[in-house]
Amino acid sequence: MSAHAENLTHDDAHGHESHGALSENNFLGLPNIKLAMWAFLGSECMFFGSLIGTYFFYHGNSLGGPLPKDVFSIGITSISTFLLLMSSLTMALAVDAMKQQKPLTARTFILITAALGACFVGFQVVEFHEFYTEKHLVFAGANASLFGSTFYTMTGFHGTHVTVGVIWLLIMSVLITKKKLVPGKEAVNVEVMGLYWHFVDIVWIVIFTFVYLLEFLK
Amino acid sequence: MSHGHAVETNGAHGGPALPHSHRKQYIILGVVLSLVTFIELGIPLVKGVPELWTAAKEVWAPLLIVLSIFKFGAVVGDFMHLRSDLTLYKILFISPLFLAMFSFFAIGSLSVVHYAPFGKGYAITAQDLADGYVPPTVGGGADAPWADDKFEAAFVDAQKAGFAKGKETFAASCVSCHRADGGGMPGLGVNLTDDCYKHGGKVAALYTTIAKGVSGTAMPAWQSSMDSEKLRQVAYYVHSLKGMNVAGGKACEGAKE
Ligand code: HEC
Repeated sequence: MSAHAENLTHDDAHGHESHGALSENNFLGLPNIKLAMWAFLGSECMFFGSLIGTYFFYHGNSLGGPLPKDVFSIGITSISTFLLLMSSLTMALAVDAMKQQKPLTARTFILITAALGACFVGFQVVEFHEFYTEKHLVFAGANASLFGSTFYTMTGFHGTHVTVGVIWLLIMSVLITKKKLVPGKEAVNVEVMGLYWHFVDIVWIVIFTFVYLLEFLK
Repeated sequence: MSHGHAVETNGAHGGPALPHSHRKQYIILGVVLSLVTFIELGIPLVKGVPELWTAAKEVWAPLLIVLSIFKFGAVVGDFMHLRSDLTLYKILFISPLFLAMFSFFAIGSLSVVHYAPFGKGYAITAQDLADGYVPPTVGGGADAPWADDKFEAAFVDAQKAGFAKGKETFAASCVSCHRADGGGMPGLGVNLTDDCYKHGGKVAALYTTIAKGVSGTAMPAWQSSMDSEKLRQVAYYVHSLKGMNVAGGKACEGAKE
């Protein structure tokens, strides 16, 4: 991988053919990794669709435990929503910089994106902790409610996705620093990471509107 | 570092033709999305201004949904540039998105089948419990191969205990207006055993009505004299009365649910 990347830096402009990388084009002439990511995100739609659907079909049917209005605080959630939205912007700017052959600018934006994502996860940990210890919203067991189980499952899986994204961003920034990820053909690796990151953002756009904000309109 | 620098400035000095930069559009879109988010956040606050809230009561929730669809579309279309990308990617993403909506409804119909042993949603009536009916709790109920007996038992016990307490509370505080069997006293409380509700028949809605009362009517607010645990128990009990249609109950008031 290392030698390959070095080659790319020098030879890319002369049409050097790289072999075996994920960024390699397939028989359709498309980058494998990008095609795979779109297919994966399609399956993720089903995944989160089911989780959010489950939440709504049990909404209002809990037998015990606190109700959504008892636990949600719109302040904290708004801040974390805003952070995630801004991280989508910085991610888009990172992808753009990479395409403009500016890996260092791209790395800066990638690190900002990772920091915003990490803050989001931090807020979620604080939120879960407060829900569990102070508001007695329980995930499973005798004191669990349908609201607790479906809420934690849905938002927990989303938070896990953000965490995975942050780790991915950090790995990419290291690879750029070590010049193992260079602009040109490999910019698609950053682009694909961006697709994942934006997807995680749109899932939150849906959850935030439907789960949190609409709750306050009732 | 010097090498990285060389790469950094490569584009500016006539290297291979670079794709057009979208930086400006991205920043503008970021600003627009922030503004939309602020508007979204403002909508629940409208509830604090009763005149404004009631002036367009039917508009606020759909407006929120439209704004979120806009944000969704903008991020997918422009940040992920699906709008100008290949049809293949569009198909790969958008068809599962529609399938996801199907699964949304599939889960809905499943839950109705599974949780409605008597065709009345999740409500278990007092009569059912008196008849010794043990409600299914975790998916598949006690007969499911994955059911954990201890968990089931604990859950059902907690449910029954809460239910019995709710019944006690009802007998102590509510029967003077709603009658011992929930059928409603003439001129006082409404019939809670039909399937008509003026303020909503889901547990959460009943909870709110009982907690906050109905101002301008005899229905008191109970939140000052009951904690949320007690309110929930009685709300659940009232929920279980739905559809019992006791003899001599008052006529339907409000909307059928
Ligand atoms: C002083 C009489 C009175 C008492 C006591 C009372 N209620 Fe009511 N309740 C009413 C009246 C009157 C209404 C109808 C309000 C309306 O017209 O909107 C009502 C409505 C309700 C509703 C709403 C039904 C619907 O159609 O949406 C619920 C639920 C309810 N009561 C539950 C209770 C519970 C539980 C208690 C005991 C904790 C209780 N009530 C005690 C008088 C009473």
